[in-house]
Formats: sequence, C-alpha cells, structure tokens
Amino acid sequence: MARGWLRIVVVTLALALVFGTMASGQSPDRRVRELILLTRPQAVDPREFETARFVAPEFEKLGVKVTVRVMPWEQMADYVWYSRDKWDMTMWQMVGRPERSDPDEFAMNLFHSSTAVNGYNFVGYQNGTYNNIAEAQRIKTDLKTRQQLVREAQKIIARDVPYVFLVFPESAYAYNNTVWDAKTVVEQTGLGIKNFWTFDQARPLGNQRDMILNTNDPLQAINPLFISGAADSWVTELIWDRLFRVGPDGLPKPWAAEKADWVDSVTLDVTLRRGMKWHDGRPVTADDVIFSYTAPLGDEVPMYKPFVRNIEKIEKRSDTVIRFVLREPYAPFLIASLSKLNIIPKHIWEPVLADLARKPENAESYQEATPIGSGPFKFVQWKKSEEVVLEAVPDHFAAPKMRRWILRIIPNVEAALGGLRQGQINFLGNYSGDPQLLDKLVKENRSLTLVSTMDVGMRFLAFNLRRPPFDNVAFRQALNMATNKKAIRSVVYKGYAAIADSFVSPALEFWYNPELPKWEYNIRAARDQLAKAGFEWDREGRLLYPAGKTETLK
Amino acid sequence: MKRATFILSRFGQTLLVLLVVATLLFLIFRLMPGNPLVAYLDPTFTEEMAQTLRRQFGLDQPLHLQYVAYLRNVLRGEFGNSFFTREPVNEVIWSVLPNTMLLTLASLVLAYVVGVLGGALLAARRGSWIEHWGIPAVLATRAAPEFWVGMLALAIFSFSLNWFPFGGATSPGSVFSSMWAQIFSLDFLHHLALPALTLALYLQGLPTLLMRNSMLEVMDEDFITFCRMRGLPEHTIVLRHAARNALLPVVTAFALGIGYSIGGNVIIETVFSWPGLGRTLVRAVAAKDYPVAQAAFLMIAVVMIGMNFVADLFYSLLDPRVSHERR
Repeated sequence: MARGWLRIVVVTLALALVFGTMASGQSPDRRVRELILLTRPQAVDPREFETARFVAPEFEKLGVKVTVRVMPWEQMADYVWYSRDKWDMTMWQMVGRPERSDPDEFAMNLFHSSTAVNGYNFVGYQNGTYNNIAEAQRIKTDLKTRQQLVREAQKIIARDVPYVFLVFPESAYAYNNTVWDAKTVVEQTGLGIKNFWTFDQARPLGNQRDMILNTNDPLQAINPLFISGAADSWVTELIWDRLFRVGPDGLPKPWAAEKADWVDSVTLDVTLRRGMKWHDGRPVTADDVIFSYTAPLGDEVPMYKPFVRNIEKIEKRSDTVIRFVLREPYAPFLIASLSKLNIIPKHIWEPVLADLARKPENAESYQEATPIGSGPFKFVQWKKSEEVVLEAVPDHFAAPKMRRWILRIIPNVEAALGGLRQGQINFLGNYSGDPQLLDKLVKENRSLTLVSTMDVGMRFLAFNLRRPPFDNVAFRQALNMATNKKAIRSVVYKGYAAIADSFVSPALEFWYNPELPKWEYNIRAARDQLAKAGFEWDREGRLLYPAGKTETLK
Repeated sequence: MKRATFILSRFGQTLLVLLVVATLLFLIFRLMPGNPLVAYLDPTFTEEMAQTLRRQFGLDQPLHLQYVAYLRNVLRGEFGNSFFTREPVNEVIWSVLPNTMLLTLASLVLAYVVGVLGGALLAARRGSWIEHWGIPAVLATRAAPEFWVGMLALAIFSFSLNWFPFGGATSPGSVFSSMWAQIFSLDFLHHLALPALTLALYLQGLPTLLMRNSMLEVMDEDFITFCRMRGLPEHTIVLRHAARNALLPVVTAFALGIGYSIGGNVIIETVFSWPGLGRTLVRAVAAKDYPVAQAAFLMIAVVMIGMNFVADLFYSLLDPRVSHERR
C-alpha cells in the first residue's frame, strides 16, 4: 500500500480509540464488551443520526453497553470498507435507482460470499445455501421461478439478520400543476415522479414550456461512459438513448430496441429501431450499438466493465438485428446491462478512445464540449455550479412535449421551496429538508402538487458478522427485536416512510416477499431469545457470553 | 541600499512561508481520516476499479514521491485533474473564480465607500443622536449571522416583493456569447444585487468603525485645531483635512480585505446559490478532492501572503521607519 505508514498511524489511532473505550468497559470474564455504533453527523443526515441515538438505549435494555460514534461519511465509509474486522455496527443506506428495480444487484452484491473480501458484503455474511439461491435467481430466465428464488433469498436474510432493516423512506417531489399537465406526470415504482418518463412526457399547459427544476448536488460530468454523481445520471439518460429503459412499472421496456428475443438462455437477438439519428445528424447504426457494448471491455471505461463482462460476443445479423451471446445465463440482463449502458456514436468515441489508450487518463476524464447522443433531449449548455440546459429533439421517436429542460443547482433547499412557490422553478426535483414544511407549502398553494412515493432504496443498521457477539445469529435476532421500527418511522421519519423487513422494497410487488418472519418490537422476547441461546446476565445486569465462549478479536 | 536589503529579506521570507504552506496543504489532506475512493462505493464497485482509481489519482505511489511530484507541479502552475469532475484543476477554479471576485469586490467597494463616509459622519457628529443610533446599528449588522440576513433578504426582496431572483448568477437558460458578455449584462447585475448587498451589509462594520476611530484621533491633532483657528468651514475641515489623514488604516484594511475575499464566501454563496469558489472549495474538502482543495487553498495563500508583502513594501515607502525597525 502506497500510504502504508499513514494508514498504520490512522489505524493505530482508531484502534487505540476502539480498544481504549473497550478496556474501560471490559472485565476479564464473559462480559460482552462495549459495542460501537457508527453514524454520520447530524448536520449531514439528521434522520440517520437520530435513528442511531434512538436504537442505542433500546439495545442497552438487553444488557450491552452501546456507544454511538459519529464520523464524517468519508471516514466512516473508509473504516467500514477497508478495516473490515474492526467495527461493530454501522448505520447505512442504499439509494433508489432505476436499475435497482431488479432485485439482483442487492441480492448478489450485498450478501453473496464472493463480495465479502473486498466488495459490498462488508458485513461478512457467509451462507452457502444463500449463495446458491442468489446465483440461481440470476440464471433462471423464467420469471415465476426467479420470483420464488428471490422470495426465498429474502426469507433467509430475514432469518439470519445481517442487517436490521429500518425503513424505506418516501421520496417526495412537487410540481406546479398550472405549468404541467398532471395527467402527463408519470410516477415510477419506487422512484417517484422525478424520472425519465416524466421528463419525456410532461405536457406544458401554457406558455411556460421550459421545465425548471432544482438539484442541490453539483454535477460532476456529462459523460456517457462515466457513472458519476446522482444528478449527472438524470442528464445522461436524457441525452443518450439505451436499448431498453426501466419502465414506470419497474420492468424493462424496449426503447432504442424495437424488441429483444431470447433464442436460448444465453443468446439474445435485439432488433434496433429504425430511423434514429445522432444529434449531429448522422444515423444511429447497429455498428454504433456494437461499439457501445464492446468499448467498455477495454481498459478505458472501467466503471461500465462489470456490466459487459458477461457478454461473450456480439454479432451483427443484419442492419438492425444484433445478437448478444452471454457466457452464462443472466436473467437481469435486460435491466442490468441493456437498460444501463448508453448508446454512443462510434464516429466520435472511437478516435477519442484510441487517443486515450496512449495516455494515462481514461474515458472518464474526457468531457465533450458538446455531448452528442441520440436521446430525446440534446445538450445546449452547462454552466458549472449553476445550471444545465437541454433542448427537446422534435424528430426523436419519443419527442418531449416541453421545449427545454433546465436543471438549476440550488444548494439552499429552503430557497428552492420559495422558488417553487413563486414560480421561479416549476418542478421540485430535490428536497432534503423537513417533509412537513413541504407538505404545508403544498396545502397552502393550490397550484402545487406533491407526490410521495415509497423508495426502492432503504435505511438499515449493519452488523459486523466477523466479530463476536455479532457472529451469533440469536444475538442479531435479539437486537432486531429490540429495534422499535414503528417509533423510528413515526418519530424520526415523521410518517414519511414504510417499515422495512427486507432488501426488496414492498413497492416492487412482484419481487417482495410478503410472508417474511415479523420481528415485532419486544424487549422481553429479545431477552428470552438471548437466554435460549445460552447468554446470561451478571449481577449488574450486563450481558455475558454463553458459558465457554470467550471474546477474541482480530 | 537598506531598503533593497529589507525588500529582499521580506521576499525570501515570503517564499519560505509559501513553501511551508504548500507542504502543510499536502500533508493535511492526506492525514485527515477518510479516503477519496469512498465516493465510488457502490454494490457494483470492484477491487479492480479501486486499483484503477488509485493508480489514476497517483495514490499508489509512496508518499514522498507524491510530495515531490506535487511540488514539481506546483512550481509549473500545474495542479493535475480533479478526482471527481476529472477536469484540470485550473479549469475548475477558473470557471467560478470570476463570479467570486465580482461578488466580493462589488460588496467590498460598496462596504468601504459607505463605511468611510458613514465613519466620517459618525466621528464628525460625535455625541449626537446619529452616533447614538448609528453605532448599535453598525454593530448589529456586523454581528448578525450572514445566513440569517441572507434568508431574510430572500424572503422579503425575492419571495414577497419579487424584485430579485432567488439564486444563481444568470436567469435559467440564458445564453451569453462569452464570459464578458455575461458579466456586463443587466441580467447578471440583477442576480448580483441581493448577494452583494447582503455581503456589503456584513462587511461595512469594519471600515465604518475603523474610519470613525481613526477620524476621532485625527480630529484631536494640532493641525485640525490650527484649521479651526484659520476659520475654515467645518465640512472642509472634516472632509479635506481630517478624512484624508484618517483614511490610511482603512486603505490597508481594504487591501487585506481583497486578500481575504479571494476565498469567496461560502455562506453567501450557498444561501444565494451563487456559483463561486467558496462552494467549490467546501465541496472539494468534503469529498477529499485533494487536487482542487490544494490548489484553491494555495491560491488563497499566495494572494494573502502576496498582499501582505505588497503592504510591507507600501509601508516602507510611506513610512521609512518601518524598514529601520531592526535597529
């Protein structure tokens, strides 16, 4: 490691902190040590912080001592990710994205053993049965079978409790209903009304034909080959077309592809829509599509590589038919790859990539002056830290109804509310403030409409299964029962959330398993669970490990 | 001769201070806990990607090699590429620096013009109702939190009266042929007004009180008494004779104010969504974007230290005693 000595200093300091606090609460007997719960600061994420402060005293009712430790995100994520056997518990969140409407990404990457070493299974969950089911669900192209497997996977996770699932927050967006026809604002499952379909279809009612929306997140890049910030993806999915798009119902929908037919479990024939054009006027060809899917195989597009790695070869069968041959059957292919990769013009990117191959930089550092795609909107201008302006392409096969799409970067969320009320913005695309404030504003203004949607993203508390006492499933189940999710929902989230018990959102009705074991809040049952597993309590009420078990930490 | 030695030694000190600042900047970001790679954590993030990023960012090199490369680049005015936007750092900074300079300079000039006149008035009307109400008013505006004043200004002048836009530097979707065309447009001025006035309200406290105190001192001096004896009208005495002499410390404060202003004003920029350097800087620090943060801080340090050097030179010319101080 390059920063070797630095890391040693930092890790030693962190260790000193951890052990220092441990030593104070630890006696040489079977007592469970003081447990540390990590969270981000209140200023950054008040709800996460409040949840952590809320659950800690509940856990203490089981006889363990819990300390909430606040860390900035960069530090917390670094610690959880790169010091995998050092931490105890951490607050965490997964955000909703269109491609997460398919459960595969979470089912595989969050809990499969292969990602425990240096991937997203940072909790270190290991379960051979689970692995088999997670792998099976991705190769079964039959939907019914796959549904069974995904539901089975959720059942195992609900029983093994690597996470305490807390809530699926509701995301609330608002718009001006005197500017936009309410019937054309599309609500997408698990994402809300701020989505591609709304931007493409929203119909202006009067002379205001520009959609002016806000984000508090500055843009990093407008690049079809770089998965960067959250706001960036709203822009890229409008400028560049994809073969499929995740539809309002969460299922893949043919887009630049007219259709796609599975020839067998590893062969897919995609028929390209005719008559599409790049924004510079040249036609979109099958060669462009093939180029878009082969370019990430090299070393210049690292972030998209995982999504094409399973493609063994791509053949051009005719001017419009392209055959994908996969190495292994992969059921989520339509969402995870075809709805994810942007189709890029070969005549622009081929020379750029060839040039980059001779340089240390890769495609992620290349910013086109005028990005060229084939999507329903074309690029007009990008003023850094201020706004991005896109313009409708009238001859696109799904031409937008609005004239321009203007994304303003507004770090002051309260000011964004004022701007919405007064008409300077007409679509609230981002609001991280108090939900009740927004509710009140909308109730007072008949020209505003608010739409709240349950998210596919979730909030949870993760255990480090590598460390005792979290290696004991009964202990994790007890903590789960000591978590008052109803109170968290109503107190911390003020009701704007749904209680979570799985990594699949109930918004995804097809995939969600409604028959999961319910771990109702019940301290007495939690203590019984611990007692049944052999845990005991000393005279002061502190929890003791089962007889014969001693605490060994790496 | 003596002055040349003085200037040379000051110049040497300035360079040394800059080297120390550059070194501290390099170390401070790397010693802070956290890791620029965590911004990319995602369920689909792989160790291979992490390696690629580390290589790209130069973080796979030993620290001393990183340091040498950093110093070499700094000397050439090269700061590398931002970890996040992947653009050259110079471009990141130049895209927002003019906005920041215009906002802070406009409010500085406004604050100092109003402050100098107001300070002179407060001193001239010593003991009157003007001073009685003026001083608390100046102190109150200086002490009021900027974000609060800013939000009030927005609530009144933008959301209620609708006189000014609530954020940004230009109207949504407005296109300008060049940066200069944008800066000299009425639209830009319209957007500039509210943040500049808010910032000026905050900044005027210092020149006002400085000017007043300095004026009061000058007004006690013999030459003013002499002016009075000559029978000059009071306004001539105040403006021509007293104010001119009292201005010197205010001018120095103005010069240093320019130095401070280059870093931008995070609070004003955030409240008014102004696309400036302050926000860029805060984001760079929060996201561990070492190259941008280093370059921006270094630039601020260079300007500050440079302004101090200029002030030293200026003083040695105006007041020769300064260069003899060592004796």
